[in-house]
Amino acid sequence: MGLSNPLLEIHGLRKEYMQPGGPVQALYLDFLEARAGDAIAVTGPSGSGKTTLLHLLAALVRPSQGSIRFDGRDLPAAAYSARWRALSVGYVFQEMNLLPDFSLLENLLIAAEISGVPRAFDRSLSLLCRLGIEDLRYRRPAKLSLGEQQRAAVARAVLHAPPLLLADEPTASLDAENAGIVMNLLLELAAESKSLLLVATHDEAVKKRFPRVVELTKNIEKTGQRGNLP
Amino acid sequence: MKSSTKLFIASRHLRSRAFQTFSVVAVVAFSVGLAVALFLVSQGLQLGLVHAVEPFELIVGAKGSPYQLLLNTVFLQDAPIGNIGWEDYAELSDDVRVGSAVPLGFGDSYRGYPIIGTVSSLLDVRVRPSDPPWLRITQGRWFEEGRFEAVLGAQAAARSGLRLGDGFRTSHGIVAGDEHSEEYRVVGIAETVQGPWDRAIFVPLEILQSVHEHEHEGEHESESESEGEGKEVTTVLVHPASYADAYRLAVSYQNDSGKQLIFPAQTAIRLFALIGRGEAFLSIVVYAVEACALLTTLLVLYWSGAARSRERMLLRVLGLPFKTLVFISWLEGTIALSTGAFLGELLGRAGAHAAFSLLGEATAIQPTVPLTLQECLAPLVLLSVGSLSTLAVAWRDARNSEEPPR
Ligand SMILES: Nc1ncnc2c1ncn2[C@@H]1O[C@H](COP(=O)(O)OP(=O)(O)OP(=O)(O)O)[C@@H](O)[C@H]1O
Ligand SMILES: [Mg+2]
Repeated sequence: MGLSNPLLEIHGLRKEYMQPGGPVQALYLDFLEARAGDAIAVTGPSGSGKTTLLHLLAALVRPSQGSIRFDGRDLPAAAYSARWRALSVGYVFQEMNLLPDFSLLENLLIAAEISGVPRAFDRSLSLLCRLGIEDLRYRRPAKLSLGEQQRAAVARAVLHAPPLLLADEPTASLDAENAGIVMNLLLELAAESKSLLLVATHDEAVKKRFPRVVELTKNIEKTGQRGNLP
Repeated sequence: MKSSTKLFIASRHLRSRAFQTFSVVAVVAFSVGLAVALFLVSQGLQLGLVHAVEPFELIVGAKGSPYQLLLNTVFLQDAPIGNIGWEDYAELSDDVRVGSAVPLGFGDSYRGYPIIGTVSSLLDVRVRPSDPPWLRITQGRWFEEGRFEAVLGAQAAARSGLRLGDGFRTSHGIVAGDEHSEEYRVVGIAETVQGPWDRAIFVPLEILQSVHEHEHEGEHESESESEGEGKEVTTVLVHPASYADAYRLAVSYQNDSGKQLIFPAQTAIRLFALIGRGEAFLSIVVYAVEACALLTTLLVLYWSGAARSRERMLLRVLGLPFKTLVFISWLEGTIALSTGAFLGELLGRAGAHAAFSLLGEATAIQPTVPLTLQECLAPLVLLSVGSLSTLAVAWRDARNSEEPPR
């Protein structure tokens, strides 16, 4: 994939939700282009559509208008979106990322099986080691600290080396130290697997670590890409 | 996703919600058990009763309730109906329409085991002409008429404590308490007839009659006894000379003021029909219990499904296909339901066997457990309806998880 060939292209993207009082504008993003290995912070005030953008990219919801092209193709229709996520998307939420009834290792193995990761066991174990939580692999999420849970969530999200890695406020529930650790891991692992990383965040400290920032606004007229290439 | 992984996820979910799982299993097992037990008991009882009635073609006894006559003669239960005169028996046995007639005298007992006064021609009774005799002796010999001798039915031999050679007095003999009452001596033991008559103790009818006469003399000396011979019989088992003769006999008894003739098989069928009405009510109760079980199950699945919405969202974000998500939830419900249904089937069978052995002890009716597997109908219906509704709940749950997580 050459530099001239963007992995992600967004044009005139708009998402509206129908509400009793009329349609609610959840997101407007006129233009965005990104390449494999890029790391982008998505910022903006609460309600500006950060989460909505990540949902759209994961094909969890459909755009109301505009287009999202990934690797030269439109995002798949709803019927194929599960497969798209399994193969191409890694997703980290703010918290409660793990299945509560399964141990850390089982969480990884289930995700690996859904994504069809080869040699899943070895891959899971080496990732857990890399993240320093291999000793906790038989514990259920409820018996882990939030920082440990988030590290496990990162491990699970990068298990299949997805071309698109999405994280929605992944460090918002953590203290500064843990937030730093988790953010380091995300950036490192995304770079290793050449994933395009998009992290939604309010946090100035997090924002600073990204070479590129996309700022969303609630006001439609002023909305647009504010990010600039490094 | 591999089937083993789906099963792994479903069973883990069931285990981590042990209380809910237990409730579903218990409530389904209970309701299915009830239905199965009821079905088996009613079927087994019916077959057992039919078997018990088989050797009796026609019964003649005192006028009264035909059911009472049936219960007295065939099942050795209920208060004895009145007696008829010896001459009525004599008349019957001389009748050309009668192939053979066996007189019976009831009303006496030893430790709850009914004494039947009869004659040796009882040994000639056969269920079908080609069959061996219905009542056979396995140990000792048949009693000699006119002597205080007794033959024990199979269950009476096993449970009354009497053995070959033992002597015993009947309740009447004891009540009479005079020098005339003698001890009966056990001279033989009968092979099982797989029916209520296994509880009987057979003695010569004349002896029984003489004991009763003494008793009457003792108790009602002031009353004038019947001027006839005074000997009485309780019922007469009749083997008609032909099929047509059976009906002719029945017609001739229709207007008799003191006696009645019944076809035990028909009377039994009418009795079952009466019982059947109670059974119909019971099966409504069973259906209601099953419906409650189903509702409870669905409610539990619904709530635990609702509690799992976050998990379903996560699985969906991981890329698990919609139909796999539905399948796993459905599997969870169906595993719980089938476990309950299976345990219920076992429980029902155990319950039926317990009921049968209690019943067997009290009446010697030998209910046979039918091998038709018809009793599986209740668990199967519950399982299929439950499984379908579980699918609906699972589908609804999965649809509701389409809302993206935050
Ligand atoms: N499913 C929905 N139905 C209706 N409105 C929605 C829905 N999802 C989001 N919205 C609205 O869309 C707007 C954008 O929401 P979104 O969650 O993307 O914001 P955000 O930038 O992530 O905010 P925050 O920083 O608080 O997480 C909000 O006004 C929200 O109320
Ligand atoms: Mg958000």
